[in-house]
Amino acid sequence: MYDFIRGQLVSIALIIFILGLIFQVIQFFKLTKKKEWVYPPLEIKPVKKSARQWVDTCLASLNGTLWKTDPLMTMMTSVFHVFLIGVPIFLLGHNILLDQSWGLSLWSLPESITDVLTLVILICVAFFLARRLFLARVRAITTLYDYVMLLIVLAPFLTGYLAYHQWFDYDTVMTLHILAGEVMLITLPFTKLGHMLFFFLYRFLIGNEYSFAKGARAW
Amino acid sequence: MPNRDVKPIDTKQIKEMLNRKKGKMKRYLSHCAHCSLCAESCFLYMANQKDPQYMPSYKAIHSLGKLYRKRGKVDRKVLTEMKGIVWRNCVLCGRCYCPIGIHIPSMIAFARSILRSQDIYPQLDEVYAESWL
Repeated sequence: MYDFIRGQLVSIALIIFILGLIFQVIQFFKLTKKKEWVYPPLEIKPVKKSARQWVDTCLASLNGTLWKTDPLMTMMTSVFHVFLIGVPIFLLGHNILLDQSWGLSLWSLPESITDVLTLVILICVAFFLARRLFLARVRAITTLYDYVMLLIVLAPFLTGYLAYHQWFDYDTVMTLHILAGEVMLITLPFTKLGHMLFFFLYRFLIGNEYSFAKGARAW
Repeated sequence: MPNRDVKPIDTKQIKEMLNRKKGKMKRYLSHCAHCSLCAESCFLYMANQKDPQYMPSYKAIHSLGKLYRKRGKVDRKVLTEMKGIVWRNCVLCGRCYCPIGIHIPSMIAFARSILRSQDIYPQLDEVYAESWL
């Protein structure tokens, strides 16, 4: 069982993760069509701005975003998402394993830094949990499924943190860490964690008032 | 009063309608992170002492989400409750903002279409308690 989790299941999880994402992208393109949008002509001429003016414009435009309405959550969720992707990719231990098995690796962050960043991720998850438990508006739409998803996201980082500090039985914690990572990879394309992919599809490709790009597609 | 309540609920028709837009709507529903960040973008939420019932995500989850969860097998009572959510609690102004990019108005509009297919929609002679005004 240990060997299966540490060996074959890693490949299976990676394959499901990659094929799942490809399947979702194909489905998305099948379900949406390219559409000709008619845009009103732009009447505002671009004005040359000084660096100071650019900063002022950027700061002023933040007033129309979630920074204005919920700055704490916006900060926590931004930090959380950046580290959630970044920390596992640039972790020394992961890159050494990658080097040993495939002979390639990315550059790594120092272990002392990734240790702190993992702690930051854990604090963010605790913050999300507290919101779910104590904020009426979040509780109103929370189901058991949300807690399970939070656990799936938390588990790899918590077990990774425990393994790094060698708390509890190292072998068991490490196996649990690998298993938690695999569960996350397998569930990602098919659950609400899929917003990792669909965020980009929805915000960049679908034509919408809030699109980041031109968004030429429609359902 | 016209006998509009007599028509039985056609769950088969509801299911057909749900299936027609399944690809889009189920993805939207499943990708909602239940973060509640859409709340402040709804003027009705802000105007009603920040009552969670007016949150865009709450309205979508408790109308269209419920229809998908129950696979269209709903009775008149459930649909009548939804009527209040999708007509009284939402004016479809389209100002709701989702950080993930879920288009909430299209979900509410679709829920309205389903209710309308079952002859459930706001009536001008409704009593105040059920009124959509």
